[in-house]
Amino acid sequence: MRFPSLLLFLLASSLLFTSCTKKTDEKGKTLYLAVSSQVKGMDPIYANDRYSGNEVARVYEGLLQYDYFRRPYTLAPNLAEAMPTVSEDGLTYTFKVLKGVVFQDDAAFPEGKGRELTAEDFVYSIKRLADPKLQGLGWWLLDGKIKGLNEWRNKYAELPKTDYEEEVEGLKALDRYTLQFKLSKPFPQFLYSLAMPFTYAVAREVVEKYGDEFLNHPVGTGPFAIRDGVFKQTKKIYYVKNPTFREKLYPCEGSEEFKEKGFLKDCGKKLPLVDRLEVNIIEENQPRWLNFEKGRVDFVAVPKDNFDSVIPDAKNLGNDYKEKKIELLISPALDITYIAFNHDLALFKNNKKLRRAMSLAYDIDEANKKFNNNQAIRAQSIVPPGIAGYMESYKSPYRGRGRKEDIEKAKKLLAEAGFPEGKGLPVITYDCPNNTVSRHQGEYFQLQMAKIGINVKVIQNPWPELQKKITTRNVMTYGIAWSADYPDAENFLQLIYGPNRAPGANGSGYDNPEFNKLFKVASVMQDGPERTALYEKMNRMAAEEVPWIFLVHRQSFVVKHGWLKNYISTDFEAGISQYFDVDKKLKKETLKKL
Amino acid sequence: MSLTSYIIRRLLYVIPVLLGVCFLVFLLFNVVSPDPTISMLGKHATQAQVLELREVLGLNEPLHIQYFNTVKSAFTFDFGRSWSTKQEISEMIKSGAIPSATVTFPAFIISFLLSVSISLFVAFYRGTFFDRAAVVVCVTLMSISSLVYILVGQWFFAFHLGWFEISGYEEGFPDVVPYVLLPILIIVVLSVGPDVRFYRTIMLDEIYQDYVRTARAKGLSEKVIMFKHVLKNAMVSIITYVVLKIPFLILGSLLIESFFGIPGLGGITLKAVNSSDYPVIKAMTVLSAIALIIFNLLTDVLYKVVDPRVQLK
Repeated sequence: MRFPSLLLFLLASSLLFTSCTKKTDEKGKTLYLAVSSQVKGMDPIYANDRYSGNEVARVYEGLLQYDYFRRPYTLAPNLAEAMPTVSEDGLTYTFKVLKGVVFQDDAAFPEGKGRELTAEDFVYSIKRLADPKLQGLGWWLLDGKIKGLNEWRNKYAELPKTDYEEEVEGLKALDRYTLQFKLSKPFPQFLYSLAMPFTYAVAREVVEKYGDEFLNHPVGTGPFAIRDGVFKQTKKIYYVKNPTFREKLYPCEGSEEFKEKGFLKDCGKKLPLVDRLEVNIIEENQPRWLNFEKGRVDFVAVPKDNFDSVIPDAKNLGNDYKEKKIELLISPALDITYIAFNHDLALFKNNKKLRRAMSLAYDIDEANKKFNNNQAIRAQSIVPPGIAGYMESYKSPYRGRGRKEDIEKAKKLLAEAGFPEGKGLPVITYDCPNNTVSRHQGEYFQLQMAKIGINVKVIQNPWPELQKKITTRNVMTYGIAWSADYPDAENFLQLIYGPNRAPGANGSGYDNPEFNKLFKVASVMQDGPERTALYEKMNRMAAEEVPWIFLVHRQSFVVKHGWLKNYISTDFEAGISQYFDVDKKLKKETLKKL
Repeated sequence: MSLTSYIIRRLLYVIPVLLGVCFLVFLLFNVVSPDPTISMLGKHATQAQVLELREVLGLNEPLHIQYFNTVKSAFTFDFGRSWSTKQEISEMIKSGAIPSATVTFPAFIISFLLSVSISLFVAFYRGTFFDRAAVVVCVTLMSISSLVYILVGQWFFAFHLGWFEISGYEEGFPDVVPYVLLPILIIVVLSVGPDVRFYRTIMLDEIYQDYVRTARAKGLSEKVIMFKHVLKNAMVSIITYVVLKIPFLILGSLLIESFFGIPGLGGITLKAVNSSDYPVIKAMTVLSAIALIIFNLLTDVLYKVVDPRVQLK
């Protein structure tokens, strides 16, 4: 077959099969979502990445959730009847578990009928997270926090089999619906743990029936159930509405900004609002974007390469897109990108002036243009906007912006540090992951430091190698980012808390006794003006001490089709698809134009 | 030596080769590489957790026990579960091999038939305009990066003209067809350039042999010479080239699968390396080594079939 004939044959087959397989008008509503990374499995205790966590949260639920319609981020009850009662000393939390909630039907239950959720299910699920044989990836959340749980874990690390029947003092079901946690020390962030997929409720019968294959047999109490009951590691995940989902209603209350925009119009409707969900795993930007433009996906983050054509003025959508009824959502992300110094090296540890000089020489404005379409927020210190501890009007005196005076000041500080014009300084290595953007960022850092006479060598590493280097302190500087686990400044400030040094979260090994003391005090304080004042003090201290070169807090740019209703950009996406709705009529009309 | 005893002897070679492969993999990943537990535990890892996880994964066992376990898994094909996804490795390979093969096998067959036909044609018209044009087209096709074919193909044919699906995959026939046609076409275009050049060289080598001159002197038609004599004699080289490509068909194509959303094996090894997922790396290395040995053997046996003069020693 000659080439043109082959092309014609393939084309004809494609059109034939496309028309054969094209879905006709579906009954009910379907959401089409796209994610950019493979989903590992559906076991809550291993859901340590955003993508797996989001999938787990479609099927499983926790005691608490983030109120989707409130900012700043606020916790609300989910499988709990109400927020817990907390003892005066802040150590005992008592929850009433919702009555009448049932697990999805599965062969693991008698006659295949899902049974009622009880407080005991949470005791089991949290013990599972602590089980040393399973090595759940969210153990850090509870490590050292619940009375008796560490002892229980340590005991079974030595024994061949874990006994879930053995009682743990701080984790008890007082009756069928009452759950009590006793903490070993005050931990104000504890409640956030109960909104994270790691602690969601699983049924013991299901875990025991499927054993190692449990991660592919998700059976939760959530709004959606996986189609056919089995999760396959493929590029599409199908869900259907959970037929036994409880009477959970669309909220009627929320922050003013959402009320004004009409997000509460569906108040009182039974959730979820759609019948089916199709999650497409599309790892590359181009196909994800093209699928969105064709209307095959309801919303996507704007890829960097398409940014200028989609959002020409960096604030509003281009007219072509507006005509297609596409909408843009911009929201700041709870994160920070930074260049860390290795504080084990005397060069950086004992030389605040050198760190300050390097921070001043780094032109953050130009970097923002190059790597973030000029849309990220310049980081003055460690805490991002949107949470208590962030100081909107504060400007760090050591935040370089490429101005002449910044460079002059940097040169002066460098001379005072003992390295006039960089003389006497060794070549400083910069380690980063081995992808193109990281390399460009490394080269940019190299150029910035060259302005004051500092030589930088960029070293690219595969991710495990970079982690090893950071952990074994075999780096001088490295570029990295941090995203919030929960909306509390503690989650950021702990990154420079001395006792958290690597392999803990403090990869740079910064260890300042004064800062540590403040952190220790703040970490056991309940939310309030006093704690906020302390957070601000630490945040300011971080800006002046320059333990890292603070870069930016990124913003997310998401576009969605007009037919997708109730979508709000959030840092905590677990469970939000139950609120989404699809305007089928508008979708039909819009698709004709795409 | 009979064909059977030759095959048995060659299959026995699998044992030392596997031992060697296991040793290399073991050395590279258990001795030299970074501690996998750090990347597995993520950003909140503590020293105590690292130690516990090492114990659970058996990384605290003496090295000779760890090596023995590596060898055992290679010979029993029981590779266990992935450290990163916790999925059964045999299941991962099984479910990935079919989508990969769905794209690569048709592409392989089409490009083989197409390339051999074109190369016979240009060899027949050697030195003419057709020959020179074919060489220019082949070199041009080879000079363009595969990424360009993918990006342009996806944008123009799938998005702009709507002839194919942009990306995705559905299990089962005929649902899968619209998803795999464009990737197949791109692989064919990518393969045709180098393949035609290679086959053409082989054909031209044969065309100038004495037996071809003798055949012409005997008055045989050019058609008979090309198909009966030249093609048959060129088969030994063609078989070597083609059969050794087969194991890689199952492994899929990283870029194609990634861009077209095909849940194949294309990225499995790369992802495993990036996440220090040793059981998967071990499984893929061992299976690739076995596949290479078997297909090498198949090549040798096929030599004997197409050319009885070949002696197997």
